[in-house]
Amino acid sequence: MALADVCKLNLGNKSYAFPNPADIDGGFSSLRTELNTSEQFAVPYNFDPVQSFAPFADGAGNDVKIQFNHGTTTLAFKFKDGVIVAVDSRATAGSWIASQTVKKVIEINPYLLGTMAGGAADCSYWERVLAKQCRIYELRNKERISVAAASKLLANIVYNYKGMGLSMGTMICGWDKKGPGLYYVDSDGTRLTNDMFSVGSGSTYAYGVLDSGVRYNMTPKEAYDVAQRAIYHATHRDAYSGGVVNLYHMKETGWVKVSQIDVLDLHYRYAQEKK
Amino acid sequence: MSIMAYNGAAIVAMKGKECVAIASDRRFGIQAQTVGMDFQKIFEMGPHLYIGLPGLATDVQTVAQRLKFRLNLYELKENRQIRPKTLMSVVANLLYERRFGPYFVEPVIAGLDNKTAEPYIAALDLIGCPMATDDFVVSGTCTEQLYGMCESLWQPDMDADALFECISQSLMNAVDRDAVSGWGAVVTLIEKDKVTTRTLKARMD
Amino acid sequence: MSLQMEQHEYGTPMQRYWSPYAMNGGTGLAVSGADFAIVASDSRLSEGFSIHSRDAPKTYQLTDTTVLSCAGFHGDILALTKYLEARLQMYEHEHNKKMSTSAIAAMLSTILYYKRFFPYYVYNIIGGIDDEGKGCIYSFDPVGSYERETYRAGGSAGSILQPLLDNQIGFKNQQGVVKTPLTLQKAVQLVKDVFISAAERDIYTGDSLVIRIITKDGVKTETFPLRRD
Repeated sequence: MALADVCKLNLGNKSYAFPNPADIDGGFSSLRTELNTSEQFAVPYNFDPVQSFAPFADGAGNDVKIQFNHGTTTLAFKFKDGVIVAVDSRATAGSWIASQTVKKVIEINPYLLGTMAGGAADCSYWERVLAKQCRIYELRNKERISVAAASKLLANIVYNYKGMGLSMGTMICGWDKKGPGLYYVDSDGTRLTNDMFSVGSGSTYAYGVLDSGVRYNMTPKEAYDVAQRAIYHATHRDAYSGGVVNLYHMKETGWVKVSQIDVLDLHYRYAQEKK
Repeated sequence: MSIMAYNGAAIVAMKGKECVAIASDRRFGIQAQTVGMDFQKIFEMGPHLYIGLPGLATDVQTVAQRLKFRLNLYELKENRQIRPKTLMSVVANLLYERRFGPYFVEPVIAGLDNKTAEPYIAALDLIGCPMATDDFVVSGTCTEQLYGMCESLWQPDMDADALFECISQSLMNAVDRDAVSGWGAVVTLIEKDKVTTRTLKARMD
Repeated sequence: MSLQMEQHEYGTPMQRYWSPYAMNGGTGLAVSGADFAIVASDSRLSEGFSIHSRDAPKTYQLTDTTVLSCAGFHGDILALTKYLEARLQMYEHEHNKKMSTSAIAAMLSTILYYKRFFPYYVYNIIGGIDDEGKGCIYSFDPVGSYERETYRAGGSAGSILQPLLDNQIGFKNQQGVVKTPLTLQKAVQLVKDVFISAAERDIYTGDSLVIRIITKDGVKTETFPLRRD
């Protein structure tokens, strides 16, 4: 386990991803673990999840079509007063809009935020696992985990599942001893830090607005406006983004939720400005 | 992804009492990318006759132009306006000519008969199988959503105002659950003595 | 489930394929109000063009104030609901109380995710009463992404019903309208109306409608006939 490595704990040589066949005695102990505190994934042996799942994901040749919720525009950038995080709220399954009210900013703890792009279940599940690990770190070490460590914990966890079809593109934002922190982590195992990221199907549109609007010395009000505009323009051009803009600000004192505004209102407000 | 959903579209037509209405969204997109928000998908075929063409945008324009051409020939030859039912046959014929390499459009026709002012609506599949109904017809990328809306909101013998409200609500709420259609809507209401076309204030995401 | 066999020449390798999934159709719907929640489903169980059963409602009562609606592959539904019942009983023995609706929702999410690499082909909606006595709805995707909502339609006619709920309950695309809170009477009527519409257009929805009305006093069940063709 990634955290165990950080803490130099010896928990034995157990694969985090799948149960070791040697652990399965076919008896009650495995069943009991499964029923009580299952952290193991139910998979047949000699099973390739990506290959086995492919015929059902595209519905080729049968009625079965298993589609997970997808699609997003998310962004985050650093400026003089911290980190701004803004996201849309649409979830799509194919061209069907499954929801317009998804919370894509995951509140890990008062000093850490994660964003959601890719598979909704993958993001929310693994960031919940991350929240648990961060809390355990706090209890063990009597101090908050750094953004770097938290993001690396997540990157290491999903790296264990590389090639197995997880889909996650997330930004871990926080404030620690070193000041504001912003990391990009995805399900390939990539982990990067920079002053600005945008992730998801509408990210290119958002980057266009951010690159022309973001300055380090902006006031918070200006920063909120450019973030909101970037998400709005992405929802306007990208079919798989939409709904509302959820806006967060990471400060030294922790995050605050700044606003939640429907892009319908933003569209007609911006249209009025142009006149 | 299906070629029919490459550009995205939603069209619905409804019958009312002595009136018909046809409505469409205005998006022209290339898969996820929205390129235009004023794309014409409903075409005038006579003073009380309109056709909506959802499907592949290139074929929408080709079919609209070829249809207009055949319509002009018909009017020259016959020296009269075409009837809705006849137009449906012309469209069916045009599409079936390409039976083994079809135009990727599934047209919707709405109009009033030239003589009797009888409301007429019909939909065709991409190879020209016609289906005329006495309530409503839908076509495009969100037919399930449209059927759900129409099936619940439509009732017989609506007057022009009620029909306008019904078709507008049906279209708008349907496209709001479809990622690849929407971005504005246009409704054409066809009555015996007047035709009104209105654009609706819609979600732009 | 089907066995696919290919025509083969003598001696050539032959691959047989068996699908672990089937689609058995069915539609679920949940609506919540100030002090109630409604969970409804049709009772048709079908596969392809044949109907296996006209009397197989897809609502499952989990506790006195929680009802689950499942649509998708019936085999997975049976396995999932059986496992859920076991977990609920274990919780009751361990904590000497019933599980709250929100806790069941969180647990279902993890149960679904533990089969991330071989998912349950089930679309779940949970309806119940929350800790404050208000009606609550949770909807799920097959691998456990979930969200609290006020109304949700899922299953084979989900896409037919949802836009109408957006319009009638969410007041979407209605300007200058007074957003009156949903009454139980109006909600039940709406549920019947939308299922009649769904049965018109969806071949996997029909036969009869089972409506479970959840209040703090428990669950009342109502049935309503739908078209059987």
